[in-house]
Amino acid sequence: MSSGSRFGDWATAGVLALMAFAAAGVMNSAGEQSEPRHATATPAPMTCGSCHTDYDGLLAEDHPKISGDTVGACLDCHPTDRASRSARNLLSARLHPAHLPPKGDLDCEHCHTWRAAEHFGLAGVTDDNRGAPTAEDMQWMRAGMLTWVGSGFLDHLHARAGIGCADCHGRRLPPAETTLTNEQCLACHGPLEKLVERSTPSDFADRNPHQSHLGEIACTVCHKAHMASSVYCLGCHRNFEMTIPGGQ
Amino acid sequence: MAEQKEPQEKSIGTITRRSMLKGTVALGAAAMTGSWALNMAAPGRAEAAPKKLPDSWDETWDVVIVGSGFAGMAAAAEAAGAGAKTVILEKMPTYGGNSIINGGVYAAWDSQFHYRQNLNLGDDSPELHAEDTIKGGDYYNLPDLVQVVAKGAAPALDWMISEGGARVRPTVTRAGGHSAYRTHTGVAGVGREFTDALRRIAEKRGAAIALNSEVTWIWRRDAYPQSPVLGLEVKRGRRTLNIRADRAVILASGGFSWDIKMRLAHNPRMVESFNCTNQPGATGEMIRFAQAVGADTLHMNFIQLYPFAEPKTGILDTPAVYPFNGPGYGIIYVSKAGKRFVNELERRDVCAFAQIHLGPDAKPTWSIFNEAMVLKMGGSNEEVAAGIEKGRFIKADTIAELAGKLNIPAAALQETVAKHNQYIDGGKDADFNKPMTKAMIPLAEGPFYGLAQWPAVHHTMGGIRIDDRARVIDIFGNPIPSLFAAGEVTGGVHGSNRLGSNAIPDAVSFGRVAGTNGAKAKTEA
Repeated sequence: MSSGSRFGDWATAGVLALMAFAAAGVMNSAGEQSEPRHATATPAPMTCGSCHTDYDGLLAEDHPKISGDTVGACLDCHPTDRASRSARNLLSARLHPAHLPPKGDLDCEHCHTWRAAEHFGLAGVTDDNRGAPTAEDMQWMRAGMLTWVGSGFLDHLHARAGIGCADCHGRRLPPAETTLTNEQCLACHGPLEKLVERSTPSDFADRNPHQSHLGEIACTVCHKAHMASSVYCLGCHRNFEMTIPGGQ
Repeated sequence: MAEQKEPQEKSIGTITRRSMLKGTVALGAAAMTGSWALNMAAPGRAEAAPKKLPDSWDETWDVVIVGSGFAGMAAAAEAAGAGAKTVILEKMPTYGGNSIINGGVYAAWDSQFHYRQNLNLGDDSPELHAEDTIKGGDYYNLPDLVQVVAKGAAPALDWMISEGGARVRPTVTRAGGHSAYRTHTGVAGVGREFTDALRRIAEKRGAAIALNSEVTWIWRRDAYPQSPVLGLEVKRGRRTLNIRADRAVILASGGFSWDIKMRLAHNPRMVESFNCTNQPGATGEMIRFAQAVGADTLHMNFIQLYPFAEPKTGILDTPAVYPFNGPGYGIIYVSKAGKRFVNELERRDVCAFAQIHLGPDAKPTWSIFNEAMVLKMGGSNEEVAAGIEKGRFIKADTIAELAGKLNIPAAALQETVAKHNQYIDGGKDADFNKPMTKAMIPLAEGPFYGLAQWPAVHHTMGGIRIDDRARVIDIFGNPIPSLFAAGEVTGGVHGSNRLGSNAIPDAVSFGRVAGTNGAKAKTEA
């Protein structure tokens, strides 16, 4: 049984590469080769204790002792990333990269409980309900989470700066086909006039991608979060030398 | 499928007569079950797979318009203004298509400002505009369609000015092929002056624009003359939606300059190695989809090259307009060998193929002009300075120095310039018989400028057949109910050759007609 069926049918090359890596088995925190745990189509939700006998080796020396066996034990101190916008040291930003490929090899439903269009929560945490994503929503979230954790795309650049899902998507789980508005991007990268000023080329001021002859266009025309970004200008102006973060 | 085994008819990306008839017969029978959709695509092609009509619709609108350029925006404004719930589907992530990057020149016999009359620039009339347009199209134009444009141009311009806030420069010019001063120029100097104005009117009247929405099929049950178009299949992101049009579908999706296969199928001279002035979305698939539900096409082989595009990328940037505006004031075109190769006052097709016929290594050719011409030909010193900075205009104090910078033999260029200066003096061009005029300026005083140029595919005159009510006409001569088209996606207005500044009045006038009539149409449930 390959891991592919469980991950669903999202055919981005990057994701497939990550999956191949996961299926081949990965190094655990102790540096030993671990077996892929992909035996069933729908993994049974696990608690932390299913894999970890103790947390001493994983945590900083001055971290308080952990009592309990589920992620719920962490929630008293660490905010979930829906709880507080731009909070640092988010639990999500700690746990997801540690457990998802390329570092880990788990999938959403190892730690989350999900019933399509009904419920999504943390395994082993009573009454934890974070929304009701459909199968399509889940596909998108899986793919987006994986590239956020490890890719050359804009989402991973945000991850490295400590920006989690909620910082762009808000507190609700993002549904499939979510597109951000310019206002959402400009909340951090704006105001537009400043952005225009910063991106004015030193050689030809009129080749400013943020103030073009197309008028006000969506940021997402060029800047893609969970896939490769690309400079729209180059579609016609093929001789312009322009690059973009998170591009290919 | 039996059809696949039969000797292949010469099918070049369009429907053949035989496949059309077979498709009609087969699907006429299938239609009795009520579930198959009309598909006249050539058998054996992937597109020809039988398609089922949608069981349900993801969205329902009164009027659905494909394309957000001049024609689509104008259609949306009129449809929404008539009370129709209207949406524009644009496959690109930005609105405006080719229109927003077009040159912004607009031919109309009059406007609310009456510049021609006030500047004493002679007489004009819709009849004269129509006559010039038909002459410029070598009399291939369909006169009924030309009338709609010539008569609609002035009121459409005033509409965009009054209701949409479009601004025009306080003058009119006489452009190539036009016998009167009727070309108006938007203040922005590009088509965006008018796309923005149309968008303001359309949105004020309640029309919606959906970007990133690519049409992948036109739904029609069968080819009976009374069988309407029902809606569209649309790819939006990773989803495929079926969108119902209760009143009409209006195709305003532009030309096919970037569809190399379609270009070659109709005009083998339009080879792949040509650049293209168009935005990447100008791929013409709506023409194929329209054909697959029975639409007729015409004039598909008439494809216009812009003779003076930027040689590396093919774009029509600001400098690339200078060679077009310059001939009346004495600009000359020379080859790498420093020799003239055409009467510079010739029309676009002649100037383009004169360059191509110079041979395989002739790219680029050069326009040569001097400072005295710049303002007269509608240029500006700021534009020239910016063009020099970007390496587009090459400047030199003498012809010999310019030749050196352009890598042209200096003696040859000097001889060519001297000869042309004599032709201006003597009033006769012994080489190419150009009609010399007193307005032409000899290349005697510097500074001199050189500009590289090469033809690029620019405008497709042919397309879907419509009547003067913008109704799409099928291969049997009947209007297809609830299917309309306007702008570059249609054929017949411009004949074999479109005159410069006739594209916008065509698209806006016919867009308005399509929107008005589309809002009155009704598709059956």
